[in-house]
Amino acid sequence: MAEGWPKKRRLLGTKIRRIDGPDKSTGRAKYSYDINRPGMLYGAILRCPHAHAKITRLDTAAAKKVPGFKALAIVLPPKDWVVVKADETGKTLELKSVPSKKQADKAEKRTVTVGPGVTILRGNKPVTLADLKADDVVQVEVEQDVIGRELFYAGDEILAVAADTEEHAKDALRAIQIEYQVLEHVVDPAEVLAKPGLRTTPLPNLSPGKEFTKGDPAAGFKAAEAVVEASYGVGVISHQCLETHGLVAEWDADGGLTVWASTQATVATAAALAGRFGVPPGKVKCITHYMGGGFGSKFGPDVQGFLAADLARRTGKAVKIMLDREEEVIAAGNRPSAYGKVKIGGKKDGTITAYVIDCYGTPGYTGGNTVNLNFLPYVYQDAIENFTRLHTVAFTNAGGARAMRAPGHPQNCILTEFAIDDLAAKLEIDPVIIRRKNLPPNNPKANKIEWAGRRNDIYNEQIDIALKLSGWKEKWHPPGKGKSGVIKHGIGMALHTWGGNAAGGTTPNECFVFIAKDGSVTAESSTQDLGTAQRTVTAIVVAEILGLEPTDIIVKIGESTFGFSTGSGGSTTCPTQAPAALLAAQQARNDLFRKVAPKVGADPKDLAIEVGKVVDTKTKKEWSWKEFCAKLGMDEAQGKGEWNLAISNEPGNENISSGQVGGVQTAEVLVDTETGLIRLQHIVAVQDCGLVVNKLACESQVAGGVIMGINYALFEENIIDKTTGRQVNADMEFYKLGGLKDMPKITVHMQDMPERGVIGIGEPPTISTAAAIGNAVFNALGVRVPILPLTPKRVLDALAKGGL
Amino acid sequence: MKNFTYYQPTSLHGVLKVLDEAGGKAEILAGGTDLLDRMKEYVAQPEKVISLVGFSGPFKEISAIAGHPPTVTIGAGVKLVNIAESELLRPYPALTTAAAQIAGPQIRNMGTLGGSLCQRNRCWYFRDEHVQCLLKGGRRCFAHDGENQYHAIFTQGHPCVIVHPSTLAPPLMVLGATCEIRSHKGQRQIPIEQLFQAPVKDGQREHTLAPNELLVSVTVAPKIPPGAIFRNASYEVKQKETSDWPIVQASVAYYTEAKRHVAQGVRIALGHVAPTPLLSPGAAKVLEGQEVNEKTASAAAEAAVEGARPLSQNAYKVQQLKVAVRRAILLASGAKPYWEG
Repeated sequence: MAEGWPKKRRLLGTKIRRIDGPDKSTGRAKYSYDINRPGMLYGAILRCPHAHAKITRLDTAAAKKVPGFKALAIVLPPKDWVVVKADETGKTLELKSVPSKKQADKAEKRTVTVGPGVTILRGNKPVTLADLKADDVVQVEVEQDVIGRELFYAGDEILAVAADTEEHAKDALRAIQIEYQVLEHVVDPAEVLAKPGLRTTPLPNLSPGKEFTKGDPAAGFKAAEAVVEASYGVGVISHQCLETHGLVAEWDADGGLTVWASTQATVATAAALAGRFGVPPGKVKCITHYMGGGFGSKFGPDVQGFLAADLARRTGKAVKIMLDREEEVIAAGNRPSAYGKVKIGGKKDGTITAYVIDCYGTPGYTGGNTVNLNFLPYVYQDAIENFTRLHTVAFTNAGGARAMRAPGHPQNCILTEFAIDDLAAKLEIDPVIIRRKNLPPNNPKANKIEWAGRRNDIYNEQIDIALKLSGWKEKWHPPGKGKSGVIKHGIGMALHTWGGNAAGGTTPNECFVFIAKDGSVTAESSTQDLGTAQRTVTAIVVAEILGLEPTDIIVKIGESTFGFSTGSGGSTTCPTQAPAALLAAQQARNDLFRKVAPKVGADPKDLAIEVGKVVDTKTKKEWSWKEFCAKLGMDEAQGKGEWNLAISNEPGNENISSGQVGGVQTAEVLVDTETGLIRLQHIVAVQDCGLVVNKLACESQVAGGVIMGINYALFEENIIDKTTGRQVNADMEFYKLGGLKDMPKITVHMQDMPERGVIGIGEPPTISTAAAIGNAVFNALGVRVPILPLTPKRVLDALAKGGL
Repeated sequence: MKNFTYYQPTSLHGVLKVLDEAGGKAEILAGGTDLLDRMKEYVAQPEKVISLVGFSGPFKEISAIAGHPPTVTIGAGVKLVNIAESELLRPYPALTTAAAQIAGPQIRNMGTLGGSLCQRNRCWYFRDEHVQCLLKGGRRCFAHDGENQYHAIFTQGHPCVIVHPSTLAPPLMVLGATCEIRSHKGQRQIPIEQLFQAPVKDGQREHTLAPNELLVSVTVAPKIPPGAIFRNASYEVKQKETSDWPIVQASVAYYTEAKRHVAQGVRIALGHVAPTPLLSPGAAKVLEGQEVNEKTASAAAEAAVEGARPLSQNAYKVQQLKVAVRRAILLASGAKPYWEG
């Protein structure tokens, strides 16, 4: 059984500044964008300007004459072929497909006339016909193969060029002559529902969902004292990572590949590149020392990663491709929309007797699994006895969706929590009564430490705290019944839930700790810090165990070669990496004791660590940390920690890491009923997260989630023109993001529950903010503004339309 | 961006000479906050770019705020931040508060008065290289039936429904400003209202300057009888308080006697609602000779939106414009803002 977290905690749970804060704030920290290699080239991507089209003509000759042009690669990955005959004089190359066991008799044959627009690669290096002999395995790229390729959104990648400067790369792109057959496109999901036979996306546009019913909703509505029917929704938004997607790729003389990538998965990115280019994984290295935000959109090399590495192998130079802001918005992922028709019934005591929803969302042209409208009714579904949900995916000709900070949850939260407040208004009760009444019950069979065994109690306590911190009792009034005047005040609430367990998968995440004879301590892991202060988490944990300060620990993270780690998704990083660091530090300490004890005449069992020193508990002898480590001589002490969900679930480990959290947020707003403007006053965020590792980073994490939720509620929306099929606000001008002055006071309350071990909270605090704000606006106006973001237009339109 | 020849003349005379020789194929570079963007997006592809930076410091003709209120001359090269903070312009909060609210500090520290008045529109169709709209030689205005939530509400007679982007134009209009315009061949003065036009096709700008002309300065000189008190204010509706464009804007100026709060010499201008900044004589007439209060301010506001023909998605701007006019009038009157809760 693992030793677990120390009972007496000196650093854990306190407020500790990020150890890399000075590096980040002074610019010393090097992000992928900052990497410049000797002789490096710049790549740029040609994208389809139409929302749906087929390529009919491609002529790259002029582009190749642009000064500084070095290479061109099409998006379609070149296939492996076996050389049958390379005829140097006739310039022809006869090929057959690589034999596979299954289709040995069906070998595909191809003859290629070699010339401009044809590239032959062997072993990731360009070769000529003269270099080839029969049975060589080569990759052959024929540019004209793009003819006929179907493109599914305005922004779809076609090819990339590399040139000596960014400007020359763009000049070369513009010199490419390309023609398209423009095809029918659809960007509005409502249109997809209206025309079920549409096929403008890779899968049929309409992907009907499965209906799920619990209990008997019809009977539930009969038993209701009030029933509300309404429609709610929220549009598509972009991740808008401050550091755009991209990387620098460089091959070495031995056929190894190094990439400096802005990714939230160093190991997976390296593995994907290794697979794509047929390189042993050990020869591919992904470096992500620092990165500027991913939010679920940066799990692999992406098209630009493959293209950069492809251009780099052709030119023998490093190639950098970082997306520009427009590309970032249209091509690097989005959070799907969600629109739903809801019918909810309930009683004055707060019981929800039935909830029925028919909803849909669009992920763009791909990424249907991220629509995730299958948690409805959100948070309360274990308590609500009768409900039906039906959700549909409507594919449209827009960039594809990717996971985004709590995929599906914010949308599910809105579609549930709006209905609750509207029902409360009709029942003429405080909506908190409904929330409390329908909280998921404690599972009596579950362990009392775990979420399932106490979730009802946790939520109730969180509601109590939120009511107190928000001044709910004094501030809440029936919807629209606040102080009279042009400016209306309102307050609203919403609840959320999330997993936050250690990472799944069969291979555990690794962390290594090394203690050197000079007393220096190095912690190493391939995991990445996508802004969550993971570097500091590792330092805190190791320092706690070894009696040192976080700044004493040399933390090396963000390189795929430092052992195995999973991508930072699902809020799994801290609950995986903190235990791995804990075990590694404890092992390194034990190794140190074992190696030095004989030299100081002590029994390793009697040795213990105090702040800055090692003590012999039996003889009361003590050594300063450095003095003790010096006795390692030529040796070093080592420890390795491994952690994942399976280990976390082993008996006795429930105190080290676990999962499932809840959270309650309230929002207080002022609404100018003449202009439709909303000014936020105060957000309260109450969040449980098991054992708090770094209270400062935890609170920042929650505040950051809230800020993201505020933007979701008030400002953000991908606006795509129906006629052109192009996004009109792929920028930060009309894709609005609030600034400092738009942010209210944010009160964060962390519930420290050390007995539950570490739980990740990257995602949960962003879930319920938008729903709480929407409900606060309803409370202010007495009129539901049903669609987010709550633009002045939508507020004024709702006011003009009148009440429910 | 497309390659171009860069000129950095050492005098204003030099600028005008190069501009004259360029035969309409040059762009003037001041703060660059608009031009560089358009060039990077390939919306502008000038052959020549002429800098107003100068070699040994800025040209004195365009870089000072000078005069004796009520007459103050502002050089076209004066930065927005310096307008916002000017002591000489303190009697004109309509102008200084408008300047202080433009975008964010980075823009205000680079952007200039001339740039604000002569910049190109922000229509998202116009700014998209791949969309051939009317102003780029195309045959249609995509905003008419498209995404037009931020577009014009005074649309009658306008095939292109952009809004003029200058937030300084409406206050300057109510302050009775005149523009000094120079070319290699001479100079002329025009009332600021005549600086603007509604472009309808490729090659036309939102201003009326000839290709060889440069806006050199703007002089505010409101007509104020001796002993009268001059009052002025601007009010903007912005969705965000940080770095955002106004959705609508109103500027108001009038004078009163010292004792009675009766508005005289009323001028009301509207911003971000039409292809040009608009003077609203109708609204001014309603307020003229009236005691200023919520009732008369509301009546003027109603008159201001007369003739508005909103598009499919921007009727809300009519409501907001009314509010902006009313609030600007009340702000000018010194009344306590009822909308501050």
